[in-house]
Amino acid sequence: MTETTASRQILTPKRVEMLREYVPFIAIALVILMFWAISGDRFMSMRNWTFIAQQTPVLMLLAFAQLMVVTTGSIDISIGSSLAFSAFLGALGMLWFGDAGLILGVFAGGLVGMVNGLIISLLKIPSFVTTLAMLIIVRAVVIIVSDGTAIYITDGSVSGGTNISSVTAPWLLSMGKFPAIFIIAAIVALLTWIFYEKTVFGQQLRAVGGNEKVLRLVGINVTTFKIKVFAAAGLMVGLAACVNLARAGAATPQAGLMIELDAIAAVALGGTPLTGGYGSVVKTIIGAFTLTIVRNGLTIAGVPPSWSQVALGVLLIAAIAISLNRSKVDVVK
Amino acid sequence: MNDQAVQPLLSVENVSKSFGGVQALRDGTFELHRGEVLAIVGSNGAGKSTLIKVVAGAHVPDGGRIVINGKEVPRAEHSVSHMQECGIEVVYQDLALVPNMTAPYNLFLGRIPRKLGIFVDERKMREKTREVLAQLNVTTVQDLSQPISSMSGGQQQSIAIGRAIAWGSDIVILDEPTAALGPNETAEVERLVEDVRERHGTSFILISHNLDQVRRLADRIVVTHHGVTSREFRRDEITSDRLVKAITLGE
Repeated sequence: MTETTASRQILTPKRVEMLREYVPFIAIALVILMFWAISGDRFMSMRNWTFIAQQTPVLMLLAFAQLMVVTTGSIDISIGSSLAFSAFLGALGMLWFGDAGLILGVFAGGLVGMVNGLIISLLKIPSFVTTLAMLIIVRAVVIIVSDGTAIYITDGSVSGGTNISSVTAPWLLSMGKFPAIFIIAAIVALLTWIFYEKTVFGQQLRAVGGNEKVLRLVGINVTTFKIKVFAAAGLMVGLAACVNLARAGAATPQAGLMIELDAIAAVALGGTPLTGGYGSVVKTIIGAFTLTIVRNGLTIAGVPPSWSQVALGVLLIAAIAISLNRSKVDVVK
Repeated sequence: MNDQAVQPLLSVENVSKSFGGVQALRDGTFELHRGEVLAIVGSNGAGKSTLIKVVAGAHVPDGGRIVINGKEVPRAEHSVSHMQECGIEVVYQDLALVPNMTAPYNLFLGRIPRKLGIFVDERKMREKTREVLAQLNVTTVQDLSQPISSMSGGQQQSIAIGRAIAWGSDIVILDEPTAALGPNETAEVERLVEDVRERHGTSFILISHNLDQVRRLADRIVVTHHGVTSREFRRDEITSDRLVKAITLGE
């Protein structure tokens, strides 16, 4: 920023503050314009946007789960494994109990979340370590239980006689396609927004992230609350797993590898400080879309996958450097 | 003051408390009357913190009695929430508020009103907050949607005190209320205490290292020394000199 009189007047601290609030929105607009300029109609086509609308929901739901946990000042890096576990149990549920058995997938996510919460609260082990351990354990459990094989969801047109691990559920596959997947995601997003912004629970997420000790002093049971938070986030991961099952058409032991990092990145791109106390559902949605669009745009522009990962990392650092309001964060560590 | 005729609001008798092998409080004894400001002073480690934490319900005493309005608090029910029900609130010096939340949220901390069971009743919170701020004559807090971390220390302490009195408590314990504040803000908080006492008849227990402040605000001063409430003075009979001697030497 040059030290001209004009810029000094335009960039008053209050305006910088306001600008900072809009960084996620500005970032996504810039990213779209950039890829449009680079790739033209190949990027700005109905087909490509349908693809983006299909790609984003799973990441978005996972980012919601992460947002809840991060707002309280904790972190959950077990969600990638939890996604694979939940999708697998959802598919197993359908094998055992028919279509309604899919709900088992949601509960499986809730169970993993609750175990996380119990370990963190009762054994007082930091969330990073606990969920790291769970990331490893749950992935191993999926591989053990699945014996390394996948369960496929089929539409019935191909009768795979030899493949016993398949469920015929054309309705689920159609749920995984645009527009159904997008509508489901929009409904979940709206409910999450209401939950996060308007309920006592949502408000308490921020309060715990702000000053846990005070809440304990006034007699709020923070321990049980945290278990509930991780369980709620887990249910959201379970839901994301079911959506992923619909989209991918299979529950594989490798599902969701490294996706926990994408979820954290989406939350961070949404301007949420990972230290807790603040957060926004709308900006997290923007963050999830930004991440998907950048990945998609780079692929269309012909950037090799490894380089596009580098670009994503740089984007993440740039976005946080600009949007993080350090006056809201006591210590940067 | 005719102490004999009036039953004290709070009476603490021979209360003791130890942690592990360390006896933090050997004999805590004092009485508090309605509308009175009582200061507890003493050097670090003299037991005053332990004493007020027992009164606030945060510590269960090993021995002694606590009588509120003529009714003894049973040891089994000794807790923060029970003391709150009995009308005792504490304003802790730096742990009192959630910095990233709004003034209404902090005022309603632990008592958030609900709509339909799960939703926050924000209108009720805002209205009540305006009411309490008006009662306290605090005019400087205008924007109720801002996190309180954006407010001055004095404003924050006003909200902390507002929370203590908003729910009709009879006794407010102020733990070093101005230790972190500048002179102007200290004056603001002191005015608030005087005001609340006059208008609501609230009693205060003041813990402070600031002896000038103690002499400005308190009607009576209790000195703790080595875990014993050793001396008691009236405001009119105390000089700084005697107070310092009592604090350091226990005489």
